Amino acid sequence: MKVLLVEDNEQVAGFVKKGMVEAGHAIDHAADGRDGMYRAAGGSYDAIIMDRMLPGGIDGLGIIGALRESGSKTPVLILSALSDVDERIRGLKSGADDYLVKPFAFGELLARLDALLRRSQESQVATTLSLADLRMDVLSRKVTRAGRAVNLQPREFKLLEYLLRHAGQVVTRTMLLENVWNFHFDPQTNVIDVHVSKLRQKIDAGADKPLLRTVRNAGYMLSADD
Amino acid sequence: MPDNLLSPSDKLLMPPRRGALLAALFNPLGSLLRRFSPFPRPRFSALNLALGYIAISFVALAAFAGPLWFAWREAIAQGRAELLREEAVWLTDMFQKHGPEVLAQTIDRRVVTEPATGKIVLFTDASRNRLAGNLHNWPADMTDSGALQAVWIDSKGVPLRVVLMRVPLANGYQLLVGRGASRFQRLENFFIWGLAGSTGIVLVLGVLSGLLIRRAFMAEVHNISQTASAIVEGDLSRRLPVHHEARADKGGDNELDMLAQTVNRMLDQIEQLISGVRNVANAIAHDLRTPLTELRSRLEGLSLSRPPAGLAYAEVEAAVADVDRVIGIFNALLRLAEIDTGARRSGFVQVDIAKVLGETAEFYQPVAELKGVSLTCAVPATLRVAGDPLLLTQAVGNLIDNALKFSHEHGVISVVAQQRPDGAVALTVADDGPGIADAEKPRVSERFYRGDASRGTPGSGLGLSLVAAVAKLHRGSLELSDNHPGLRASLVLFSPAA
Repeated sequence: MKVLLVEDNEQVAGFVKKGMVEAGHAIDHAADGRDGMYRAAGGSYDAIIMDRMLPGGIDGLGIIGALRESGSKTPVLILSALSDVDERIRGLKSGADDYLVKPFAFGELLARLDALLRRSQESQVATTLSLADLRMDVLSRKVTRAGRAVNLQPREFKLLEYLLRHAGQVVTRTMLLENVWNFHFDPQTNVIDVHVSKLRQKIDAGADKPLLRTVRNAGYMLSADD
Repeated sequence: MPDNLLSPSDKLLMPPRRGALLAALFNPLGSLLRRFSPFPRPRFSALNLALGYIAISFVALAAFAGPLWFAWREAIAQGRAELLREEAVWLTDMFQKHGPEVLAQTIDRRVVTEPATGKIVLFTDASRNRLAGNLHNWPADMTDSGALQAVWIDSKGVPLRVVLMRVPLANGYQLLVGRGASRFQRLENFFIWGLAGSTGIVLVLGVLSGLLIRRAFMAEVHNISQTASAIVEGDLSRRLPVHHEARADKGGDNELDMLAQTVNRMLDQIEQLISGVRNVANAIAHDLRTPLTELRSRLEGLSLSRPPAGLAYAEVEAAVADVDRVIGIFNALLRLAEIDTGARRSGFVQVDIAKVLGETAEFYQPVAELKGVSLTCAVPATLRVAGDPLLLTQAVGNLIDNALKFSHEHGVISVVAQQRPDGAVALTVADDGPGIADAEKPRVSERFYRGDASRGTPGSGLGLSLVAAVAKLHRGSLELSDNHPGLRASLVLFSPAA
């Protein structure tokens, strides 16, 4: 995957660049708004990580606006220190696809970027999802593991659906909170962990191979590989 | 009455010095009035107040005295003309019946006094030589035009103002009848001096009262500005003096006291805010110092002992967790600041309370099950408030989170909502845990306050602060009461659905 990073802070840029290369992505870096605009318009990137406050005459939202104006559908993730809800809404309204507030954990950035890339590749929403011997019919809301029906409550179903749609990717707790529960705050106790372990009991109980695993310091991943 | 309606002779009756006096009276009045014209607005001060008072008094005085003066003059002039005309008719009649000699004798018999004290008569032949009367010669400035004229004559060396009527008789004989203008002079003087006197009294009273008001005002303003200066210099406990307690419902009788009370209430609020900021700053410093100290010692330990990779990574991860705690505190503070500005009120929508409480309770349900706590939620489906659903969810989440944190095994937590008779909607989370001592209740929603029971449990000490801030944003409050045993925490919302 080819990613463009528009970020004027050298330390943050170096940190993100190193991490992305280690994760197997190619990354270009623009250190100001003008360079960012030039590269974003010219290069064919799979995704763009965009800082908001940039030197060089044009800020992050300006670049995104210009990109969307010209018909570009490249997924954009805003990485900004502006954390107010209103600022997030402004960022997303300008045409960005996701918004991550600084300071951030690299695992969170990578997971969200993977989710964005996956979303842009899946043109149509599948109604049947499967992983190894786990099957989900989104319309009839039925789940089976190795042919045996798994009885899930509505929220558990939604949680599993989200994990299945991002199978093979790391999904962070914040992503689950925002996308499964639509909660935009950090619950002080680790409620998400309890939900996931309940789900794990239901789908992995009695199975010879666990599918839902915990990724240390990052979140969870539904995966058939070892 | 406008001047041009008076007869030309009457115009002459008005001595020039009186016109000048009126002009002198009205010109400064005009300039005073100009001072109070809307552009530019005058500075408000006791002096301006006094000048305004004087100006208004002058206008009232002029409105009263002006018409009176003109009506009075008119009456005098008419009466005098009438008198002279009657006399002229009587003398003319005698001339026509008995001839000039009899008329001259009659005049000499009847008019013996000097012109200054009574009637004036002069009877002349065609060449204006005196035949009879108490005027010695034909007045020099008497013109032929107009029957009634005011002229100066010489009366034993003293210039005398008189009003004369010229009556031409047959064969060129001439007759002058008249009266001294000074006959009504005393009355006129009385009027003028009376007017001048009352004008003077108004002026003196105005200036005096202006100075007195100014003195009283300056004393109060001086008090206020002295107190304000003391406050600026840092003594926040100072308050403006209030002489008589003004009652809010009746408005009080002293405007300055009302102002002082309003300013004092503002100062109370400012003092509270500043001490709040001071407390929060201390609390932030204290609460951040703990994780930062841990972080520092961890990193220092790493750099000193240089442990093997496995151990080093474990320490680094712990260091990251320390930093996350710091970031968590900052995020909570930023969220609180965002709520405190009240800006989010503009984004209020209709919130389905049953949905918010149901989803939040459901979210925490697995944690309750894990702890063996019963978590129930009962909310009437029809409750709606205008509010911010994200913040309400977070606030209720914090309350449930707290209840779970302090619940014993087999505890009971109930989440309910109800509309109170006054229209407020109360979202209540009740538990049967240890509760909060009455003495602690007012303090737990202070920022960074940690009750005795919560020491050693995870949390930033900002959870209930956030709930209280969310309640305030919805024009409500956080009510903490005893659940016998346990705590009832009610988020009372006073922003009814539109």
